[in-house]
Parts: sequence; C-alpha cells; structure tokens
Amino acid sequence: MKILLIEDDHETSAHIVYALKGEGHDVTVCHDGQEGLSAARAGGHDALIVDRMLPSLDGLSLVKQLRADGNRIPVLFLTTMSGLNDRVEGLKGGGDDYLVKPFAFPELLARVDVIARRGAQDSEPVRLRAADLEMDLIRRTVHRAGKPIELQAQEFRLLEYLMRNMGRVVTRTMLLENVWDLHFDPRTNIVETHMSRLRGKVDRGHGGELIHTVRGAGYTLRAD
Amino acid sequence: MRIRFLRTEGFRLSALYAAVFALSMVILGGFVLVIISQALRDQIVTFAYADIGAIRNGYVIEGEYEAREVVQQLMAGPANSGFYLLQRGGRVLEGNLPAMGPRTGTMELSVSSAGRSREVLGVGEFLAPGLYVFSGSDLARPRAVEAHILNIMLVLFPAAILIAVAGGALVSWSFLRRTDAMARACREIMQGDLKLRIPVRGTRDELDRLAEAINEMLTRISALMENLSQVSNDIAHDLRTPVTHLRNRLERARADSRTEADYAHALDTAIAKADEILGLFTALLRVAQIEGGERRSAFAPVELDSLLTQMRELFEPVAEEAGDVLQLTVADRALIRGDRQLLVQLFSNLIENAIVHTPRGTRIVLSLSREQGRAVARISDNGPGVPREEHDRLFRRLYRREASRSHPGYGLGLALVAAIAELHGATIQLVNGDRPGLTVEISFPLMDTEKS
Repeated sequence: MKILLIEDDHETSAHIVYALKGEGHDVTVCHDGQEGLSAARAGGHDALIVDRMLPSLDGLSLVKQLRADGNRIPVLFLTTMSGLNDRVEGLKGGGDDYLVKPFAFPELLARVDVIARRGAQDSEPVRLRAADLEMDLIRRTVHRAGKPIELQAQEFRLLEYLMRNMGRVVTRTMLLENVWDLHFDPRTNIVETHMSRLRGKVDRGHGGELIHTVRGAGYTLRAD
Repeated sequence: MRIRFLRTEGFRLSALYAAVFALSMVILGGFVLVIISQALRDQIVTFAYADIGAIRNGYVIEGEYEAREVVQQLMAGPANSGFYLLQRGGRVLEGNLPAMGPRTGTMELSVSSAGRSREVLGVGEFLAPGLYVFSGSDLARPRAVEAHILNIMLVLFPAAILIAVAGGALVSWSFLRRTDAMARACREIMQGDLKLRIPVRGTRDELDRLAEAINEMLTRISALMENLSQVSNDIAHDLRTPVTHLRNRLERARADSRTEADYAHALDTAIAKADEILGLFTALLRVAQIEGGERRSAFAPVELDSLLTQMRELFEPVAEEAGDVLQLTVADRALIRGDRQLLVQLFSNLIENAIVHTPRGTRIVLSLSREQGRAVARISDNGPGVPREEHDRLFRRLYRREASRSHPGYGLGLALVAAIAELHGATIQLVNGDRPGLTVEISFPLMDTEKS
C-alpha cells in the first residue's frame, strides 16, 4: 500500500515509517501541513496518516480541505494526549479513524489496514460469509454449516465487526471503540470475556476455528 | 503622588459639586438681594402715601394752614429721616426740600441737604390745583442693607467653595487611600502571598462589596491552586515509583539477560511498564479536562435506564468470569442531561471496582429509581466494604487503599467518577451495607421535563 504520512515530529515519523515499511508498505513523509496538502492533492496514495498538530496548516483543516475537494482517500488521524472532544472533531472533520499517541505497532498497522479497506469498499453488503459461517445483516441471523446460532445483540455486533474485517487483525481497542463505543481503557477483560463467549457459540463444536487470537495484537476472523 | 488625587474620580466629582454649589449660591443670593431691596423700597413708598394721606386730610378738612401743620408735625416726629415739601406754584410753603418741578407718582430724587448729597425715594401729588406735596425717605438705609447682604455673600461664597473643595479632597483622599490599599494588597498577592486578603471595613459600601468579591475570587483561586499543587506533587511522587521500577527492570535485564528470549521478555515488561506510566498521564489529563468543565457543551438527553441495561450486558460476562453475579433492577425510567460517553465511564469504573476489589462469589446489584425529583443510581455489593473513615479519601486523586495496592491501577478511577458526577451536577454517597458490603449512590438531577 502507498501511504502518505504527514507528521512534523521526526522521531515519531521515523518510528511510523519503520513500522509501515516492515509490513511492506510504501511510505512518503511530509513534515509540514501545506506541503502535506499539496502531496495529498497530487494523489497516488492509498491512505493518509495525519497528525492533528502541524506547522503551517493543522491536520484537521488539511483533511477538511481535501474532503471539500471531493477527495475520498482514507484518513487516520494521530494525536498526542487524548482530548475528549478531539476524537469527535476528527471524525466529523472527515477522518476515518483516530489513534492516540503513543501506540503499539500492531494497533497502527491494524487500523491502517481497516481504513484502507473501507475506502475500497463500494456498496453496503446485506450478507457476510466466512467459510461455512453466514451472517444475514437484514434478518439479523447467523448460521454455521446451515445450523442457526443464537447470538445476543452485543455478540452479533462483535461478530459482525470481525466478519466485516475478515482476514485483517482487529485490536482490543478497535473492538472496544467500534463494538461497545467505549473510549477508555477498562481495567477488566471485557473484550476477552465477550470474545470467549462468542467463540463458544461460533467455533466450539464446529469443525475448524474461524476466530483466532493474534498474540500481542488482537483477533482475526479467518476462513482458511 | 501629591498631584495624583487631582486625577481621582472622587476629586473630579467634588470639583463639579463645588462649581454647581457656587452657582446656586450666586443665584440664590441675587434673589435674596432683589427681594429685600424691593421690600424696603415698597415700605418707603407705602409710608410716603400714608404721610401724603395725612397731609391731604388736614388740607381737606381745615385748609392749607392745617396741611402745613401736619407737615411740620411729621418732620418733627421721632427718628424721622423723611423729606417733605409743600409748595404752591414755585414757592415752598413748608418742608425740608428746595422747590422743584411738580412731578406726580413714585420717583427718586437727588437732593443736597446739610451739604450732603442724598438719594431720596418718594411720592409726589397735587392736593389741589397748584398745591403740590412730596413725601419721601432717604435711600441710604435700603442701600446699606443691600451692601450688608452683598458683603455677607462675598465672605460666604469663597468660604462655601473652600468647604466644597476641601470636602471633595477629603472624600477623594479617603477613597484613594482605600483603593491604594486594595491595589497594594493585590500586588502583594501577585508576589505570591495568596493567603492575604483585601481589607474590608465592614460598612457594606460599594468598595467593601468590591473587596469582598475580590476576596471570594482569591479564595477560589487559592483553592484551585492548592488543588493544582497537590496534583503536581502527587504526579511527581507517583510517577517516580513506576519510572523507578522501569529503570530497575532495565538495569536488571542488562545485567542478567543471557539469551535473546531473556532480552525480549525484559523489553516486553519494560514496554508494559511504560504504557502504564503513559496511561497514568492520560487518566490524569482526563480528570483535569473533565474538572475543567468544557465537556458540558456536548450534553444531550441520556436515558439512564437504557444506559444501565447496556452496562449490565457489557459487564455480566466479566463478572461471571470473576465468579461474581451482576444484577440489574430498574424501577423507573429516567432521563437526564449529560455526556453518554462519560457516564459510561463513570458506571464502568464503579462496576469494575466492585468486580476487582471483592472476593469471588460477590453479588453486585445495579439499580435505578426516581426519588424526590432526582434519578438515583446505586451500585451495591456484598463484599468486604470500605471502613467509614476511608470514604472521603477514596475520591481523592491517586489515593489507593492498602488493600488494593496489589491490583493494577492508578488510583484515579474514583477521582474520575467524582469529576464526571460533579460535571453532571450529581452527588455521590458511599453507604456501608450490613453484610457488610458497600453501596455507591449517585443522585442525578432529572431533566426538567421529567420532574413531574
């Protein structure tokens, strides 16, 4: 993937470039807002990673201008300490996701992966499928190998998020944010317990595990 | 410094007052002068008519001789200052005035008498054709009264102005003295003595009220400052511990690691420790931000009952895994104004506390009811409870109970709960149960439309 990184702090940008290149991505870096806007307008990138605080033009204004141009490139905002309103502002301003610094490599990689896919997706699916697991988004039903699986509302949302991001790693934080709308770090293992219940219903007793734990990163739903 | 009081508002006001005062004195004095002088002249004229009346009576009843007799009597009267003339044709019959052209009515004459020139006011009339009479009085007396009044005014006027100016100066000086004292106190406070207060006289005047307002502001500021310095002390102190641990671990890893796996493990724990420190920062910032109150702008109606239902669904599997039971009893629906995300965090922290800080098999009950126009949410457990004397300290930042030091955490969970509750105008109460257990009771104001 070709990624444009707009980040003024050289140490942070070097860190991110290192992480992305390690995954085989192609990264261009701009250290200034105006310069970054020109580079983004020039095109040729699959995703944009933008710091909120930038010299000459701040990240939020930069993305707003791009969106005003009709540019639909997936955008991941970066920020230092999490201002409570910053997240909402960033997403309203045209960002696709929001990541608070510092972050672990897997968190960054998983999010870039997910927003880039979202950009490529064209129409809203009505049915999701992974091997013999089938989810009907209209009827709100789940079947595995033709047999119905009863899921609670939260379990359904959790499985839906995993299936929508099939083959990609989703982190604990991404699940907390997207499935439960929780924007803080809980002290209990919310994600783990819910995931374990979901696995009990989806995987146990069926041939072949679909939900896998990715050590040090999160979870993935894979049909291999 | 000496000139400075001339520039004060008090002085400007008193100078204006003195000018208005002087002008009104001039106008009033002028009126008095005119009225008194007119009254004195009217009196002279009235007496003159009375005299002429007497002379005319004498003439009408007994003839010219009697008229001359009356004039003589009048001139001989006690303390007489009058001037009389009775003339036929151009010849003086009687009187103390030389013959003159017979003019009738009220008039002022200038006569020479006993070698002095006199101003005389009087009345002239014909008693019969050719028989002319004049009676009048010296104007010296009214003139003297006028001069006297004028003299009094000339003395009083500057005295009054002097008093007005002196009074103004006094007022502005005392005003200035108090504002100077206030300015001095402010300056000393700025130099760091936050305990100092602006002097208040206790007269409840406007300066006192201003001083009291400033003092209240200072009290609030110093409370905030104390809080702030408390927090920065806490941060400095509490950050030392994890950073020291981190440093120790790295040092030990440097000394002890033999294999690549050893190093990897050491680095993993170091990263985890660093994350913990960063988490502490984030949590502190969050508390500060919520306490700052800026979040209130994002308030919207929140259904507390559905929020609690969501909380139960979220934590029920977690509680079950910890061997606890989580129940929800919603007695009433309740709509409040608030920030849903923050309320979720508030209830999460309280429920997590109940799960983490209690032994297995604890029963945790969430409940919601409407009581006296408020929405009261309760999180109760039948765990070991918290001693009464620790209740207040629990909500302090970075406070950690001895019993909970073995659990991960920063001691900020309840500080955050307190900050979020305060932001929502809610009150928190800790109630010890009898089994023993602990109940956290949060009472929110209902939305106005909900109160009925």
